[in-house]
Amino acid sequence: MSILDSFTRIRLIAGTTFLEAVRQKFFNSLLIISIALVGSSTFFQQFDFGTGELKFITDFGFGALFFFGSILSITATTQLFFYEMENRTALTMLAKPVYKLEFLAGKFLGAHLLMLSFTFVITLVLSAILYWRDTALVARLGDEVILDGPLVRYGDVFLFGFLQWMKFGILAAMTLFVASFSNTNLYTIIVSFFLLIICQLQYIARDAYSGMEAGWERFLVLGLGLIFPNFQLFNIGDQLVFDVDQALPLSTVLQLVGYGVIYTVAFLLLAQVNFRRREI
Amino acid sequence: MNNPAIRIQNLTKDFSVGIRGVKLRAVDNLCLEVGDNEIFGLLGPNGSGKSTTIKIILGLLEASTGTCEIYGKPSKQVDARRSVGFLPEAPYFYRYLTGRELVRYYARICMVPRAQIGDAVDSVIELVGMTEAADRRVATYSKGMLQRIGLAQSLVHDPQLVMLDEPTAGVDPLGSAAIADIVRELKRRGKTVLLSSHLLAQIEGLCDRVAILHRGKLVREGRVADLVEEKDAESLVVEGLSAEGRAAVQAAIEAQGARLARVEKPRLSLDAYFLKEVHQRESEHAANNDSEGSN
Amino acid sequence: MSLLQHPLTLRLRRILFVLLILSLLGLLTRPLEGPAWRVVKSGQPEMNLEAIEGALGQGLVVGVLGGFRAILADFLWIRTNTIWERRDRVKMDAMVRLVTTLDPRPEFFWINGSRMIAYDVPNWRIREEGGYSEVPEARQRAIDLEQSHQAFDLLDEALEFHPDRAKLYLEKGQIYLNRLKDDANAAKWFLQASKQADAPYYAARIYAELLRKQGKNAEAYTYLKDLHRELPNVPYAQKGIILERIRELENTLEIPFWERFQAVVEPVLEAPRKAPAFDVPEPHDHAGHSH
Ligand SMILES: Nc1ncnc2c1ncn2[C@@H]1O[C@H](COP(=O)(O)OP(=O)(O)O)[C@@H](O)[C@H]1O
Ligand SMILES: [Mg+2]
Repeated sequence: MSILDSFTRIRLIAGTTFLEAVRQKFFNSLLIISIALVGSSTFFQQFDFGTGELKFITDFGFGALFFFGSILSITATTQLFFYEMENRTALTMLAKPVYKLEFLAGKFLGAHLLMLSFTFVITLVLSAILYWRDTALVARLGDEVILDGPLVRYGDVFLFGFLQWMKFGILAAMTLFVASFSNTNLYTIIVSFFLLIICQLQYIARDAYSGMEAGWERFLVLGLGLIFPNFQLFNIGDQLVFDVDQALPLSTVLQLVGYGVIYTVAFLLLAQVNFRRREI
Repeated sequence: MNNPAIRIQNLTKDFSVGIRGVKLRAVDNLCLEVGDNEIFGLLGPNGSGKSTTIKIILGLLEASTGTCEIYGKPSKQVDARRSVGFLPEAPYFYRYLTGRELVRYYARICMVPRAQIGDAVDSVIELVGMTEAADRRVATYSKGMLQRIGLAQSLVHDPQLVMLDEPTAGVDPLGSAAIADIVRELKRRGKTVLLSSHLLAQIEGLCDRVAILHRGKLVREGRVADLVEEKDAESLVVEGLSAEGRAAVQAAIEAQGARLARVEKPRLSLDAYFLKEVHQRESEHAANNDSEGSN
Repeated sequence: MSLLQHPLTLRLRRILFVLLILSLLGLLTRPLEGPAWRVVKSGQPEMNLEAIEGALGQGLVVGVLGGFRAILADFLWIRTNTIWERRDRVKMDAMVRLVTTLDPRPEFFWINGSRMIAYDVPNWRIREEGGYSEVPEARQRAIDLEQSHQAFDLLDEALEFHPDRAKLYLEKGQIYLNRLKDDANAAKWFLQASKQADAPYYAARIYAELLRKQGKNAEAYTYLKDLHRELPNVPYAQKGIILERIRELENTLEIPFWERFQAVVEPVLEAPRKAPAFDVPEPHDHAGHSH
């Protein structure tokens, strides 16, 4: 069996998984969030924040992407995995000359594709809203703001979306890992959210580490920082978009991407270790 | 081929149940061989370990002890499944695909060359008699249609060994008969078929050999005829015999040194009766339609 | 069943295996994570957690730490605005403090907060005490001073986070100039502002103007001459206006002709995208409210 055949199978499984996700109406959430974003941006207009309005829109857009993206990433991955398990379509699939790793990778990619569409649409809607408000503000405030350079760096909106997507990848792989040893949907979702919160907050313990005395607590904190990936790394929305002189260095972006890819692959392989043993 | 289609040696499967790990023995020291181009029936009541055995053969479950090979290749290897088709018990498929798309999807998963996919898909759909319904979504299929389309997906890559887990469960006698015909056709094409059932009568006339499982243990194994025939008895089916005639026949039998063991009315099985009736209705219906058409 | 084969032992072994792998992964990714984290962290200033926890409660603090810091600050700012509409100055003060503690990164909060404190609150207080016609000048002045200094405190704090933001220095200068009519102190802050990298050209011009207003003509003259020499030849630098001022000063100071400033006249370059060139300081739309 050549590696190319492997890729073909992974692609096929990812394709059906994605279609399944579309069919399960995960995308309806998109519509609701988009409407909410447009709604919130009109809400901010009443305050007359001046150009500050753009900051509010961006904060809410990024917040929505992070919040709903995390929820979608966990629930969709869980649902798409257990759909196959509960309906025993996985049985039919794995009785074919298909490696379990191919199956897992296909499931992951399908879910990740869903997240890519989700992230892309949200960032697109956000950019459109920003552009609309940006032009409206420039028209109203005139030269006062134009001369200060561009108000919004739209590329950064997409950069933020891309990096969030990388993080959703780790999250989806982590969810698959949890799903690989758990028996129910609900358990997987709860444990994954728990892990998400730990990963999101582990930096606090890490930062406290340097100030701690030697002892088992220090050891514990060290372990916590080592074991769980640091999701706060991807929380760079505040450094982007507006701060013209401090664009995120390319090296940092590459480091974040590398970090995301390594952890995603690692969690998929760990999921595979469990999944291989799993009785289907 | 020198290797048998399936060789199972001293296979035992324990499931651990609950966190304390209480063992549940689903298959107990099973030894079986299925020859090439054979129709083999795995019989037994519910929970006797048929599905578990099939899953181990397919490498979906790991054996606790013992070995299992397909044409000489250990089941654990993905490669062993290259030429195996499988219809799971009560199959369920991606509901939003049409039957044809589903079969096509599995054909591609099994790496059927692109140029051949179209023909392969059409011919298995034809074989299972789903040509008319092939472009409907799987969600609209009846139980029997699901079973047929499941059969189609298991055959699309032209496997040498086909395993059918309870192919006739929940299917009406007509459907069962159709599935039996397909199995015979597969044998004619030189394939090996392993099928399981808890309805013994349905596959009695179909299998070359059967194994009977009970609580995971092999109870009996052999040719159907060998298992059920009363070796030293024969029955004569006679029509229009009078009472005197019967006395004369009995006397003649005893004169030969034999014994008339019992006299019974020959009966059709209910399945056979049903099939006969339905076929009759169908042909009458067709004839009526023809005559109406000519009016 | 031996203890080693007990399912619980096996499970424990698996968990330890996973933890070991993840720890190794953590070590392995350190070279990637370390530098990236330093960059990201530099954009996330420390918070006074105790102060925030007291005001928000623990549940929200987890949200803040988990990445919803900016959004929560935004929410609270919107609430600050409703409080501002109700003219509840004690509560408003506390809210401005809370928002800026929560998210000191956007200068938006600092600047608009200081404007509310320095410009709006004195109006409210004077009106509470009977209105501009009733309250004696001295009392009005005292209120102005008190509020302005509260605003200065806030801006000083802002400067700890953003020591190189011209806008913050300008804001202090504006309060001195517009509210306290204190030209000397205003000049000091406009000068500071003009020294920042992102300073608008007008900061320096206003500084010179304030020197003139104080009668420090000679000082203004020297300053403007240096300024004219240093400024690039772009329209927003308004070198023409500066030269006009220089000439006016030369007349006032009665500089002999042979000693007068010799401007090198160069063609004006195309418009840069640096900073606006207002002659008039920005209008204060306090916290962005039209009154
Ligand atoms: N995944 C499993 N976990 C625990 N017990 C199982 C599992 N699968 C099957 N069993 C048990 O193994 C026995 C055999 O089941 P099965 O092979 O499905 O029987 P059959 O197919 O003959 O009806 C049953 O008692 C069943 O409860
Ligand atoms: Mg079964």
